[in-house]
Amino acid sequence: MSEWPGQLLVSVLALPVTGAALCLPLHRISDRVATAWTLLVTTVTCAGAFMVSVRVSHVGPFSHHLGGWLAPWGIELRADQFGALVGLAAPVFALVVFYGVRYSRHAVEAARRGPYDALLLINLGGLLGFSFTGDLFNLFVFMELFSLSAYALVAYGKQKVAAAASFRYLVMGAFSSLLVLFSIGLLYQLTGTLNMADMAYRLADGVPHRPVVLAFGALALGFMTKAAVFPLHLWLPDAHAAAPSPVSAILSGLVVKMGIVGLIRTYDIFQGAGGVDLPTFNMGLSTLGAIAIVFGAVLALIQDDIKLMLAYSTVSNIGYIAVGLGLFNESGLTGASIHIFNHAVIKAALFLALGALTFRTGYRTVSDLRGIGRRMPITVGALSVAVISVVGVPPTAGFVTKWYLAVGAVAAARPLLAATLVFSALVMLIYYLRIVNAFYFRPAVHEEVERAVDPPLDMLAPVVLLSGASLALGLIAQVPIGIALPGVMRLLGGG
Amino acid sequence: MSVHSNSLLSPALWAVLLPLAAACLSLLYGRLPRRGRFLLLGTAPVASALFAAILVRGVLAGSSHEIRLVRLMPDVYLSLRVDAAGALFGLSVAVLWSFIFVFSVGYLRDDRYAGRYHTFSMLCLAGLMGVAYAGDLITFLAFYELFSIMSYALIVHEGTSSAIAAARKYIVYIAAGGSLLVMGGALAFSASGAADFAAGGVLGPGTPPTTATGAALLLIAGFGVKAALFPLHGWVADAHPAAPAPFSAALSGVMVAAGTFGIVRVVYEVVGARWLAVLAIDRGLAAVAAFTAISAAVVAIKQDDLKRRLAYSTVSQMAYITLGASLLAPGPLTGALVHITNHASMKGCLFLCAGLLARNAGITRVSQMGGIARRFPVTMAAFTLSALALIGIPPLAGFVSKWVLGYGMLDAGAGGYLVVLLGGAALAAVYLLPVVRIAYLGEPSEEREGSLAPARPGNEAAPSMLAPIVALTAITALLGIAAFADGSALSLARLAAESLAGSR
Amino acid sequence: MPVEVWDIRPALAPMVSFVCALLVFIGGSRAGWRRFWSMSAALLKFIIVASMLPGTVGGVAYTFRFAEFAPGIGIGFRADALGMAFATVSSLLWVVATVYSIGYMKGERSLGRFFGFFALCVSATVALALAENLLTLFIFYEVLTISAYPLVVHDETPEALRAGRTYFTYTLTGGGVILLGIAMTYVVSDGVLAFGHNGIVPPDTTPAVLAILFVMLTLGFGVKAAIMPLHGWLPRAMVAPTPVSALLHAVAVVKAGAFGVVRTVHDVFGVELLRQTWLPDALAYLAAFTIIAASVMALLQDNLKRRLAYSTVSQLSYVLLGIALLNPWAAVAAVVHIANQAVQKVTMFFAAGAIQRTTGKTNISEMSGIGRRMPATMGAFGVAALGFTGMPLLAGFISKWHMSVGGFDSGMWWVALVMAASALLNAAYWFPMLYLAFFKPVSEEPTLGEARPSLLYPTLVCAVLVILLGLVSDLPGMPLSIARTAVAQAFGM
Repeated sequence: MSEWPGQLLVSVLALPVTGAALCLPLHRISDRVATAWTLLVTTVTCAGAFMVSVRVSHVGPFSHHLGGWLAPWGIELRADQFGALVGLAAPVFALVVFYGVRYSRHAVEAARRGPYDALLLINLGGLLGFSFTGDLFNLFVFMELFSLSAYALVAYGKQKVAAAASFRYLVMGAFSSLLVLFSIGLLYQLTGTLNMADMAYRLADGVPHRPVVLAFGALALGFMTKAAVFPLHLWLPDAHAAAPSPVSAILSGLVVKMGIVGLIRTYDIFQGAGGVDLPTFNMGLSTLGAIAIVFGAVLALIQDDIKLMLAYSTVSNIGYIAVGLGLFNESGLTGASIHIFNHAVIKAALFLALGALTFRTGYRTVSDLRGIGRRMPITVGALSVAVISVVGVPPTAGFVTKWYLAVGAVAAARPLLAATLVFSALVMLIYYLRIVNAFYFRPAVHEEVERAVDPPLDMLAPVVLLSGASLALGLIAQVPIGIALPGVMRLLGGG
Repeated sequence: MSVHSNSLLSPALWAVLLPLAAACLSLLYGRLPRRGRFLLLGTAPVASALFAAILVRGVLAGSSHEIRLVRLMPDVYLSLRVDAAGALFGLSVAVLWSFIFVFSVGYLRDDRYAGRYHTFSMLCLAGLMGVAYAGDLITFLAFYELFSIMSYALIVHEGTSSAIAAARKYIVYIAAGGSLLVMGGALAFSASGAADFAAGGVLGPGTPPTTATGAALLLIAGFGVKAALFPLHGWVADAHPAAPAPFSAALSGVMVAAGTFGIVRVVYEVVGARWLAVLAIDRGLAAVAAFTAISAAVVAIKQDDLKRRLAYSTVSQMAYITLGASLLAPGPLTGALVHITNHASMKGCLFLCAGLLARNAGITRVSQMGGIARRFPVTMAAFTLSALALIGIPPLAGFVSKWVLGYGMLDAGAGGYLVVLLGGAALAAVYLLPVVRIAYLGEPSEEREGSLAPARPGNEAAPSMLAPIVALTAITALLGIAAFADGSALSLARLAAESLAGSR
Repeated sequence: MPVEVWDIRPALAPMVSFVCALLVFIGGSRAGWRRFWSMSAALLKFIIVASMLPGTVGGVAYTFRFAEFAPGIGIGFRADALGMAFATVSSLLWVVATVYSIGYMKGERSLGRFFGFFALCVSATVALALAENLLTLFIFYEVLTISAYPLVVHDETPEALRAGRTYFTYTLTGGGVILLGIAMTYVVSDGVLAFGHNGIVPPDTTPAVLAILFVMLTLGFGVKAAIMPLHGWLPRAMVAPTPVSALLHAVAVVKAGAFGVVRTVHDVFGVELLRQTWLPDALAYLAAFTIIAASVMALLQDNLKRRLAYSTVSQLSYVLLGIALLNPWAAVAAVVHIANQAVQKVTMFFAAGAIQRTTGKTNISEMSGIGRRMPATMGAFGVAALGFTGMPLLAGFISKWHMSVGGFDSGMWWVALVMAASALLNAAYWFPMLYLAFFKPVSEEPTLGEARPSLLYPTLVCAVLVILLGLVSDLPGMPLSIARTAVAQAFGM
């Protein structure tokens, strides 16, 4: 085994965390230097994560054993297909940070900017570490990294609700972390290992059923809370709406996806375990997913605050992924896994575009932003493209997901589910239409809107790039699919 | 039958295209110089008549030709073919139209929509020439629909409420008839795979009888609307009085005849005489035609409106032609075909006379005509002569066709229909002679005399209106007197009947 | 079966107008830039499409695939005869419509948006015409749906926005049903979605599944094809500017639906498979009902554009009826009617728009004497009206004739009756208008005042096309010959 991929993996995880430590002192020296440092670390890390993904897509999953200790004794870093999907989305993080430089100057007071940058880097490290670890305990550690940083980042929101939202997020997040920790402890006791592959192997080897079911339940519930699967989504809308827009983009785009990755890890671990009734769990998961789709769509319908609407849209989209996982067939799992990536791109585009509107006008509701389409044509154009993508109109990225899920539902002989998938997206579209109508076809009501112009290039470019990607990914969908498919086959193969 | 190597050299094509070109030209009617425009437009019908004459000569000399202009659909062409029947009809149309055109110049002198009239008139002429030379059913239908629909514009031309109502009635009848034709054509085509006219018909012996019946009934009924067969004649009596007189003449003279011409084509060259006989449709058709001939003549007697009376006369006369065609024998068919030509000349003249009276004296009713002959001597002389011809007084045109028709009936063993023929002639005398009597012997009304300029030679009407009347009367006479000469209409009709009905 | 030749042109044709759309979006506020790109893209696209015609006639299907997003499915283009028939019409009429729109929209606002989405719509139309598989077809079908929306609501009035919402509700619901249908097809056929093999659905599919699939696909596409009772959006969408109504609601959007049904019958199920079921009969009856009922509705409209809309509803069902009869003659009628209806209806819309722009009149009852004021415009309108009534040597006759022969040929006499009734109804709602325009006496004689040349000439060009499509439609490369090639392939002749 050649060494460089392993080193790459290590540095991708180590760099942001150590970089975060430097953020605070650098901030003392100069705001600019700290910003540059943050950007540099993020860019390098994300490029590294992207290269990991490229490698996975070419040669398949690979591992690195820290210190040369082989599993199950040592700590294994492992980049598999699902981790690679997160790695593929890492550039989204970089773009968000890039965008956030100017935005945070406007939204975050100078004194708090140092910790802000550090928290972002820690969050990035947590996300990547969570995705690229083969060790269950490390999984927990990285989970805490991105979770705690996320709680804190939410609190950066300017509105009064931000603190409360952050607190609620913290409570539910801590609860779910406890569940995960409990499950890990139980599993360690049962199997005597923390390496996930090894654990799966041992679980399949006849371990007392009842504790295994308990561990499975705790783990799944914990990750479902992290992923905000209905009805465990309660923390999400306020938290995502309250946070500054770049943070919202990261939270909605990437952080909630970690719950999904965690669920996939759960599948990996309990695949062969006796006593765990995966089909029933899947049936429940897909049903909850379907409810989430409808529930999220309907609640999004009644919001005037666009950020809140986008947050509920995330609930709905997580529902899609849950349905795909629950279907547990080739199409369904493919759809779910590529949506991890697709939704990251689309939702980031939406939040950033909306952030740009707020940045220029100070407003964030549909009725206040009337007529903005003429004033900020590029931003609103990008927003519209992302809107089309998020509701799954072809040929955008969202459509690819919808297609795979619909095929999966039909193949599983669940036509009602298929119809729910397709038509709830239509409900969303007709609602989003209200935004587009208000932005383009109605006269402005506020003077700020009349005066607004497209944001400067450093904010505009990420918006346009992400929005363009959400369109283009429908046409080059074979890239994420190519990465996901072997992983899906592995899951289905009963690993 | 020869297929022309170069279709552009075909006189038949130019006989159709020239009127079309004239129609386009007349769109600029208002911008052309006053004198020049009549010369330009008049060229079209006259040249068409010349081309038609050339074609007649060719047919008499034994040549016929067919050209395929363009393939419309697989197995369906826009094709022209000149046979004896078509050559005769084409010449009748073009000659009559030339006179009508001259008449219309005078008749429409003060009409501000004269340009519109000429446009549509030329389109109708093109359609009729196309009908005469159509080489297959689709081409026939195409030109038939062209002049049928365009006629609407001419009937509605005067814009009076009666004209508008008559034109609406006309278009309803004609559109319905057109639909029947397309259905029938499609049915025949789907059964035979060919849309050509072919001696003996295109329906093969293996055609299902229901299909053959359907095709025959649909096509005959479709053309029957135009041919004014009872009970499809409803539009005729309204349309003729409403239309401008020159167009009434064309309508009665050749347009209604185009319907009967279509029936002839259907009977002999689409469905085929053999199928008709097998299905007994020929007898039904003959009975309907006989009834139409008599009943229309009876109705004509009661009409006071002159043009309306003439219109019913047309219905009656056309029924003779249908009757002759439905007997499936060369003899009566000869009579029928020659009657198309003769009737065009006679009835054309009568309508032009009626038009002249209406325009120059405001007379439209028979009861107003008392003593009018003194004021319009030439017109009424022509009227009288044409009326006598129509009744069938020898040696004028009408006599010839009826003689041939009657002789043919006897020959074909259908002597019973002679009663219809003779009865019709008697009734014609009853509805036409009183007009003549009133015109010559009736008392003029004072009111009218006051409004009219006194009779003086040359004061009767413009030469452009009087000349066509005189010329048509002369032709009527000639068609009678010279009927048995070589190259006469009769000889051509005989040739046509032989080729159509001779080979059963 | 045609020979497949790898060629970029099928993908290039939609791409041209897509690029044009982008360019117009970028610099659309400048009139010169906008006009230049719209015109040159229209011409270029037509040239590209036309350059493939000889190949189509010669039995070649140019094929180009990219962006395969799973084994066997992806975005691919294949210029077979059926697709070329539709693509040629769309791209040709786009050229004419662009000239017309430039004249019509002069002085309106948001023109960059207008021409950008106009180009996008045509791009999507040609792309779906040349789509190589069902999924590609659907993708561009939805792109068309979305990009037509800004055109429908262009006036930005509350009425336009309402119409836009209705339009979206109908078409997107239809799109959703289609998507489910396609997903089901994909599962049933075990991953095959490509056209051109006489049916994707395997013959051993159970009748129930067949029925569900057929209903989903035909009704899904039927929404845009405005089959009754799914036609509600079309008359309301007539609030759009006239060039939009003309090109999109008589040609692109609605024809995309009809085209989808044709593809469904010929290439998803295959004629042989459907012959054994009752499904096409049901579609035929529904289409026949639509033909008659929509014509009756048209009679009741006074607004010219609404009458045109109902006439469109009626005419579109010709395509559905023709395809549902499963008879080669009727199928030819269906395919050729896509072209014939398009040209005739565009002529009428152009004339209606010219009248509206020149005189401000939109209701038929106000149009007395309009033919004497604008003889050329109304003459063109008259030609198209005659075409719709089935006058021989005009485009509509070719369709009606094939349809009637097909009806007789397959033993369905009532089809010819429906054709005849439709012809009469067409006469009943168009002829009175011609009477008003040309013949009705009016107290004050109108003075001659034609529409401006950029409105008049496209209208006249279309009227000439109506005549050409009736006269020389059988020449190689003209709609009839292409339609016959397409039908021969579908029927395996």
